[in-house]
Amino acid sequence: MGLAQNIVFGLVTGSYIAIAAIGFTLIYGIVNMINFAYGEYVTVGALVGVLAAGALPLPLPVAALVAMVGGGIASLVLARAFFTPINHTGPVPMLLTSIGLGLALRNAIRLTAGQGSRYFDTETTTFRFDGLPDLSVGSVDLLGGVFVTSEHLIVIGSAVAVFVILHALLTRTDVGIAMRAMGDDEDLARVRGIDTQMIRDSVWVLAGVLAGLAGVLIGIQTSVSSTTGFSHILQILSAAILGGAGSPYGAIAGSYVIGLVVALSVAFLPTGMTGLSTAMAFLILIVVLLVKPSGIAGQEVREA
Amino acid sequence: MSLADRLPAGIGDRLPEDDGDRALLLGGFAVALALVLAATPVAVALPGELFVFFEVGTMFVIYGILVLGLDLQYGHTGLVNFGHVVFFAVGGYTVAMLSAQNPFVGIGLGYPWLVALVAGVLVAALLGAIVGATSLRLRDDFLAVATLATAEIFHSVFVNFREVFGGNTGILGVPTPLADLAGDTDTTMLATLLFIGGVTAFTFAVVTRLTDSPYGRVLRAIRADELVTRSVGKSTFTYKMQSFVYGAALAGLAGGLFALYNGTVAPGYFTIQVTVTIWIGMLLGGASNHRAVLAGLAVIMGLRLLSRFALDVAPVSADAFASIRLIVVGMILVAVIRYRPAGIWGDPKELGVDS
Repeated sequence: MGLAQNIVFGLVTGSYIAIAAIGFTLIYGIVNMINFAYGEYVTVGALVGVLAAGALPLPLPVAALVAMVGGGIASLVLARAFFTPINHTGPVPMLLTSIGLGLALRNAIRLTAGQGSRYFDTETTTFRFDGLPDLSVGSVDLLGGVFVTSEHLIVIGSAVAVFVILHALLTRTDVGIAMRAMGDDEDLARVRGIDTQMIRDSVWVLAGVLAGLAGVLIGIQTSVSSTTGFSHILQILSAAILGGAGSPYGAIAGSYVIGLVVALSVAFLPTGMTGLSTAMAFLILIVVLLVKPSGIAGQEVREA
Repeated sequence: MSLADRLPAGIGDRLPEDDGDRALLLGGFAVALALVLAATPVAVALPGELFVFFEVGTMFVIYGILVLGLDLQYGHTGLVNFGHVVFFAVGGYTVAMLSAQNPFVGIGLGYPWLVALVAGVLVAALLGAIVGATSLRLRDDFLAVATLATAEIFHSVFVNFREVFGGNTGILGVPTPLADLAGDTDTTMLATLLFIGGVTAFTFAVVTRLTDSPYGRVLRAIRADELVTRSVGKSTFTYKMQSFVYGAALAGLAGGLFALYNGTVAPGYFTIQVTVTIWIGMLLGGASNHRAVLAGLAVIMGLRLLSRFALDVAPVSADAFASIRLIVVGMILVAVIRYRPAGIWGDPKELGVDS
C-alpha cells in the first residue's frame, strides 16, 4: 500500500479525532478540567447511534442526529451531577473525579450493552484511483494507487461541516462569543454580565453533541463496543494538548497531526511493530509538552 | 486495650513509641520468620480456602510499597504522577530480563537474582530521574498527562518488541528464590507474604523517618505553596526531583519483588488499572498519612476479595461481577473527592482542602 493511501487513512482518523478533540478542548478551556470520562461520552453517542440505526430502524443521518442529542443530554446530566458541584476545587480533583466517573461509566456500559461489537449497516461505494504511478524509495512506496470509500467521504465531510458551523458559532453568535470570553478570563466575563453557569452548561451540551457525532463516525469506520471511546481518549487528549489546550482551532490541527502520524507510522514501521503507532502519537505529545508546552496555538502550562 | 497493654509489663514498656521504629521491628520480625520458614525444613499446611487471602494479601503488600512511594510524590510533595505503573513495570522487567533462565521468548541473561533486584531499583530510579527532569516543571494536570503518556508508551513497547520483552507472553523462567528455598506451595505462600510484608514494613519505616524529618517538612511546604518555599531559599526543583526519584525507586523495588515472587512478568500485570487502584487507595485513605494510604489500599483490595466470595452466592457471571466491582470503585473515588477530599483518615487542615 502506498503512502498516498495512508495519507487518506490519516485524514479520516484525524477527522473523527478532531470532532471529539474540539469538544474535549472546549471543556478544558471553559470548565478548566481535563475530562477523562470524555471517551465514555463518545461510546454513549456511538451506542445510541447504532441502536437508533439498527433497532428502530432510522436512516443513518437521523440516527446520527439522535446520537448527537443523546450525547448532549448525557453530557449535561453527568456534568450537573458530578462536575458542577466541585467546580471550585481546581483541576486535579476534577481530573480525578473524571477518572472515577469514566471507570464507572465504562463498566456500566459494558454491563448493560455487553462486550460484543455492533456495526452500522452501511452501503459502501469505493472509488479507486489507480492512475498514480508507483514511486518507490527503498521499501516505501511514495505514491501508489489510492481508494476512497463513501464512508471516508462521510467522515471527512462531517468534520469539515463541523469546523464551519463551529467557527460560525464561536464568532457570530452571542453564546459563542461569551464562550470565548470565558475561556479568556472568567471574572471579566462575569463582570460584563455573562451568566457563566449557563455558558458552562452550553459548553457541556456542545461537547456532548460533538462526542456523539464522533462516536457515530468512529462506529461507521470501525465498530461499536463498550471500549470504543476509551480506546480513543488518549489520542483525543493528545490532539487537544498538541493544539494548545483550550483552543478549538489548535485541536483541529493537532488532530490531523496525530491522525497522520498514526497512519504513516503504520506504513513505515516494520511489520509486527505496527502496534507502536499509537505510542508514536504519545511520543509526539511528550515532545511537544517538553519543547513548546503551550502547543500549536495555546497558553502557558509550565509553572516555573 | 491495645496490644502493648496486654503484654507483660517489662516488654510493653520497651516497645518503641515511634511509628517508624515499630514498623522496623515488625518488618525485621516478619522477614526473620519468613526466612526461618523457607530455609528450615519446617513446613506449614494451609487450608485451601485461605489461598485466595494469601494471594490478595501478597499483592496488597506489593502494592503497599507502590502506594507509599506514590504518597511521597503526591501526598507529600504534590506531584501528580499518573504513570506510577511504569516504574513498577520497568523494575519488574529489568529484574526478569537480567535473572531469567531460558525464557520462552525475550531476553533472559541468567544473572543472580540479587544483582538483578538492585539493577531493577536503579533502572527505575534512572527512568524516574529522566521523566522528572523533563516533566516536573509542567503544571499539575499536564504532569499527569505526561506521566500517563509515558506509561502508555512503555506498555506498547513491552507488547511490540517481542524479541526483547517477550510480547504479550512476557518473560518466563524468572527465578523464585523463596519458593526454591521453601519447597512446598503452602510454606512458600506464607513465607512470601511474610517476607514482602516485612519489606513493606521497612519501606514504611524509611518513608516515615524521611517525612518526619525537616526534609519532609520542606516537601509538604512545596505542596502547600511552591512559590513561598522557593522564596525562603529552598531549591524546590531539587526537592521535587528527589521525591519523584525516591517514589520511582520504591516502585522499581516493588516490581522486582513481584517478578521474583510471580516467576514471570507480562504486560497484563502492568496496566493502567494498577495506577488507578493505588491512586484510589491513597485518596480513600488520606494522602500524606502513611498509615492511612495503606488502610485505604486495604479497603480497595478487600473489595477484590469480597467480590470473589460474593461470586459464589450471587446469581451473576464472574465477568458481570468484575464490572460491578469497578463501577463501585469508580463511584468510591468520585464520592471521596466530593465528600471527604482529605480521605477517611486524612487531616483536612494538613492537606489544605475544605471538607
